[in-house]
Amino acid sequence: MSATSRRVLAATATSALLLCLTTACGSSGSETSSSGGTVTLRYAIWDAVQQPALQKSIDVFEQQHPKIKVKIELNAWAQYWSKLQTQMAGRTAPDVFWDHVAYFPQFAQQNVLTDLTPYIKADKLDTSIYDPKLLAGWQQDGKQYGLPKDWDTIAQVYNKTMLEKAGLTQSELGGLSWNTTDGGTFVKALQKLTVDANGKHPNEKGFDSKQVKQYGLALGSSNGQTDWWDAAAQNGCKLQDKAWGKWTIDQPSCVEAIQFVRDLRLKYHVAVPASVTNTPNGASLPQVMARKQAAVVWDGSWDLNAYQSSMKGNFGIAELPGGPVGKGTVYNGLSNALYAGGKHPKEAWELVKWLGSEESQKIIVSEGSVWPGIPTLNKDYVAVWKQRGVDVSGFSKEAEGTTIGYPLTTSSATYSVKVQDAFNQVWLGQQSPKAAADSVNEASNAAIK
Amino acid sequence: MTDNMSVAVSSPLVDRGHRPPAVPPGAPAVERHRRRSRIRATVEAYVLLAPSLAGLALFLVAPIVGVVVISFFDWNLMGAPHFVGLANYREMMGDSEVWRAMRNTTYYVVLNIPAQTVLALLLALAMNRKLRGGKAFRVLFVLPWMAMPVALGIVWSWAFDPQHGVVNQFLALFGVDGPAWLSSTTWAMPVLASVNIWQYTGYTMLFLLAGLQAIPESLYEAADMDGAGPVLRFFRITLPLLRPSMFFVLVTNTIGSFQMFDTVYVMTQGGPGGSTDTMNYHIYQQAFQLFRTGYASALAMLLFAVILLVTAVQVLYFRKRTVYDFS
Repeated sequence: MSATSRRVLAATATSALLLCLTTACGSSGSETSSSGGTVTLRYAIWDAVQQPALQKSIDVFEQQHPKIKVKIELNAWAQYWSKLQTQMAGRTAPDVFWDHVAYFPQFAQQNVLTDLTPYIKADKLDTSIYDPKLLAGWQQDGKQYGLPKDWDTIAQVYNKTMLEKAGLTQSELGGLSWNTTDGGTFVKALQKLTVDANGKHPNEKGFDSKQVKQYGLALGSSNGQTDWWDAAAQNGCKLQDKAWGKWTIDQPSCVEAIQFVRDLRLKYHVAVPASVTNTPNGASLPQVMARKQAAVVWDGSWDLNAYQSSMKGNFGIAELPGGPVGKGTVYNGLSNALYAGGKHPKEAWELVKWLGSEESQKIIVSEGSVWPGIPTLNKDYVAVWKQRGVDVSGFSKEAEGTTIGYPLTTSSATYSVKVQDAFNQVWLGQQSPKAAADSVNEASNAAIK
Repeated sequence: MTDNMSVAVSSPLVDRGHRPPAVPPGAPAVERHRRRSRIRATVEAYVLLAPSLAGLALFLVAPIVGVVVISFFDWNLMGAPHFVGLANYREMMGDSEVWRAMRNTTYYVVLNIPAQTVLALLLALAMNRKLRGGKAFRVLFVLPWMAMPVALGIVWSWAFDPQHGVVNQFLALFGVDGPAWLSSTTWAMPVLASVNIWQYTGYTMLFLLAGLQAIPESLYEAADMDGAGPVLRFFRITLPLLRPSMFFVLVTNTIGSFQMFDTVYVMTQGGPGGSTDTMNYHIYQQAFQLFRTGYASALAMLLFAVILLVTAVQVLYFRKRTVYDFS
């Protein structure tokens, strides 16, 4: 072999290796793997607070199914949907993933979800154990695209010590109301809970709004679920005219509610400034509470374990205040969905079935993680928190009252992108509620398919 | 100055590769052998080039062609693409958010490039002296460039936190009440620019330092004899002789600045009020949050055209000027 041909050979080998490295061998890392009869499923979630409880349930599932392994893939809410949809486009989405009403309609349209009906029939699964409202939320055209994982509402989480110091009780806090003229009893209570460096309250002379030591309230949300949507529900505002219809957040009842939430910060000075709580850099609500910056927050039941880990039982739950029209909260739930492009649909169905089972939801409930999709377990959830010294019945009382759900629409992605920036500006006082509502409404309606 | 100095003059864009001496005519047999070996050499060269050519085609040419093609379609990555002709380009022309993104990007480049270049030049001049531990300093200045931009973005977000950040706590020492940097439409972009200046100045400095070290000492000695002071020496010798490095640094940094993405993604996500929504972030948002890949591709073409134009202007500017080369 001459020197030249040896060199040519070496070069060819190198280029072949490089080609392999760059093409075929590049994508194996993210795919579902199966070796020696064991199948590894990928399960995507977005909430780190719920992961420990979920892992306990998965551990039991793996014991019962020795040939199936489950790998949880955690991606924060802000990146979750972008990543999931890109993976779907590349046909490499996780086998099972948390689904949300905001994105469900679009996924059902795009045929990326598996219809569970045949599986349910084959396994004679009893779906009457689920809350009918939750089960129906994951249906479209007679098909079932997920099993209920949980439900949630928004309530007031408060610091027990701070509430006592202000001379308020849980039932008082849960019985407040607000109006658009003077803020009502809700603002009065928050004034008691807000203190500046000299011990003065916002309704007293000499109060320094730049030197506030403790705020009455903290609000924060990237889309409205834990702040102005609830105020909107309390003011009779509807986010859309009908299911699958147009967005209507530019209506006066909605704009008034947005104005009130803005006033809590900028007019009454009883809520933590937006520069602290605005996404993406802002502190999360549990962080604000852990830092003792606020006495009360409006937050969802899914965050309870976050408060428990930092406040160790020194917190309580009260219902949201009533507004001009009455009480109201956002009611929502998640499901576990089965990806239609997965390589192991049978094993993935086993996982979905397990996560929807009473046995698994009991484990989740016993960890105090989230309210279950199976209503008979609600009392167990209350009992777990009672043992920890927290009365969580505020969430379930609200669920029985007036609630609004996530808008059913195909333009959630556009809404999410527009609303965060526009409403951040409103809370900072740099844009009027009307202008922000108009611009978000227009852009979201234009994106309806 | 050029007349009495024997230096080679060339443009930085002209390849100065050393060509082999022309082959003298020889006997036919030798000629045939030569031709065969030349063919063999060509084949060999292409075989050796194959890996990088394949990589180039796969990772550069194909995606670029893909973007051009997709820009004429309406496609959400999932369903079938619809051909829409120039509709994406027409929409782009009337889209005020696109023009805002273009203005934001230009503002960022203007904040970033001059400051970064001047700082890097000053640093390079300082480093060019023979200092004890000079190399350690050099490493120190280049460190930010080696760090992950996303991690840096997170750390800087903490630093610029209005209440708990070190920046405002430092300002408070002097009785200054610092603003909520990243929530301010006035301050957010300068903060992003300063983070990037901090990150890339050391890297730019390396190139300018290499350029400085290539300038022969004899020129400064001659200037000394002629009685030129430090200012005159800087403007008459250092700066003109630094042109090749300057050219490289300005062109590559300007292109990089127009494409800025990671810092925005981590620190502001285009906010507040769209004040840091740069072209590349806007393209990302259209493509991977709204899944309008056709429209995003058209925006990418616009950004490409702008960068091409700016680079062409830079090339023309430097081409008009003499470039001194001692290598």
